[in-house]
Amino acid sequence: MSMKETLKEKLGLTDKDFEKPLPKPTAWSKPFWDGANQGKLLLKRCKDCGHIDHPPYLFCTACSSEECEWIEASGKATLYAYAVNSYGVPFPFVEDLPYVLAMIDLPEGPRMISNVVQCDPEGLKNGMQLEVVFERASEEITLPKWRPVKGQAINLEAVRTINGEGNDQNL
Amino acid sequence: MSKAEFAIIGTGEVPCGIYPARSEFEIAYRVSKMAIEDAGIDKNKIGAALTAVHIMGSEYNTEMFFGRLPEAIGANNCRVVATTVSGGGSSFSIRKTAEGILSSGEAEYVLVVHAQRFSQFTPNEQAVFFAHAGADLEWEVPYGMTYNALAAMMTQGYMEYTGTTIEQVASVCVACRKWANLQENAMFRDKQLTLEEVLKSRTVAYPLTAMMCNVLCDGGSAYIMTTAENARKVCKRPVYILGEASDYSHRTITKSKMKDLGRMHEFYTPVAQRAYQAAGLGPKDMDIFQVYGAYPFANLMFLDAMGIVEPGRAGELVESGETSPGGKYPASTNGEALSFGHTGTGVGFSCFVESVRQLQGKAGRAQVEGAKFLIEDCGGGAFMDVHFTIMGNEDPNL
Ligand SMILES: [Zn+2]
Repeated sequence: MSMKETLKEKLGLTDKDFEKPLPKPTAWSKPFWDGANQGKLLLKRCKDCGHIDHPPYLFCTACSSEECEWIEASGKATLYAYAVNSYGVPFPFVEDLPYVLAMIDLPEGPRMISNVVQCDPEGLKNGMQLEVVFERASEEITLPKWRPVKGQAINLEAVRTINGEGNDQNL
Repeated sequence: MSKAEFAIIGTGEVPCGIYPARSEFEIAYRVSKMAIEDAGIDKNKIGAALTAVHIMGSEYNTEMFFGRLPEAIGANNCRVVATTVSGGGSSFSIRKTAEGILSSGEAEYVLVVHAQRFSQFTPNEQAVFFAHAGADLEWEVPYGMTYNALAAMMTQGYMEYTGTTIEQVASVCVACRKWANLQENAMFRDKQLTLEEVLKSRTVAYPLTAMMCNVLCDGGSAYIMTTAENARKVCKRPVYILGEASDYSHRTITKSKMKDLGRMHEFYTPVAQRAYQAAGLGPKDMDIFQVYGAYPFANLMFLDAMGIVEPGRAGELVESGETSPGGKYPASTNGEALSFGHTGTGVGFSCFVESVRQLQGKAGRAQVEGAKFLIEDCGGGAFMDVHFTIMGNEDPNL
């Protein structure tokens, strides 16, 4: 019996208890999710000062301008830190165990939380190069996730330096 | 630096643990009575009653918003009621509220209360709630983010970028447990814990094992605050608030002002230093380092900022045993969230009343002999903010 079936039987749960929580796009984040549905990783850039906000907000968090444009990100990133969830997660995620959550640094500036997929969790290394993949979660929502780029050499010292220099980019 | 304006004159606390039959109302009324008795004042002198919310929400919050407490404890001359909350930073924000009320002259004595009963919720409800407390509903929760995962990835980064070992992280749990074994009200007062048990317990979110994560439980505490001037008249051994400093970083962890997990001290240390400066004291003057980190890596991260070790080396200090009972740098003397028990917003309160007890010489078997000054910290959300406080049983600036 699957974990889900066991839990349903033991705790009297229904399928509804296992429905994954999905993003509810706001007026200012909808373009991101529309982009993801089309296989594009979009970032909100201020037309006045060039600042990139992720998560996006109603107006630019650097200069308060409401003029913005959505740019397509490179789809490449670096693994900064990670965790492997193995136990004690909300019901909708028990069947995914174990799964990887990570802090992912984009060369465009922002850091994101996402899953690293299509990987051996024991082979993960900080500083690893990642590339975006898109996983459709419902009619309306596609979640951008990441997987390790194959055949790469890892330079941890470079990660340290990048983070050291870029520390105030989101202040 | 200037002379202290406020002081604590009494505290109350009930045992922490799983007590489903003890309601949060009973906890609140009981700890109020204990604090009033400990302070040795007439209940009718309480001019303001402040409560922190029950973090998962309940009828208790509504009742406290609408003035249940003064009526229930017969505080007949209470003029002000309020609820103040900022997650794990509540013990600080509520104290600032108390200070404002005392400064206004509207109250001579302020009663501050926290009560919590997590045992009314299922483990899944708790996991869901805490996932939302520590993670963004739109950008993180859909990926299966949990509070333990947040702490786990920060632990992984902290270890990688400072060179701290998993044994050093685990040693925080052991040190906290040794203190809790000396505390009557600690959830794990009767259970010993070894390094091996911490490391060998089930993996919850790599690199965190079950023993590195918190157990949500029931508990509560209260204290009475007044002006320093009044405290000297009515109390034999008041505990003065000598210096305080705060900073805010973010809501979403990805927007943390300090992005380098190996250099978090660069955000925290200046705040601790401002608190020391306000008190006119330094790390060498401290007898206790009352760290509230909830997770072991965070305990190290805040110790790093308190000025006793080179930042990033707190793990070595804890591993050496110097923060344990009998050590040179007593830290987290009630065992904090990990071993005293995690009561949501209440952890900061329990560390705070333990600080007061230590400085009043009322800490029982956990008493640090001759403790005169200490530094404590708290903060909430997904490490959204930090507050450092210097306290003492004498005012060096008087
Ligand atoms: Zn701008």
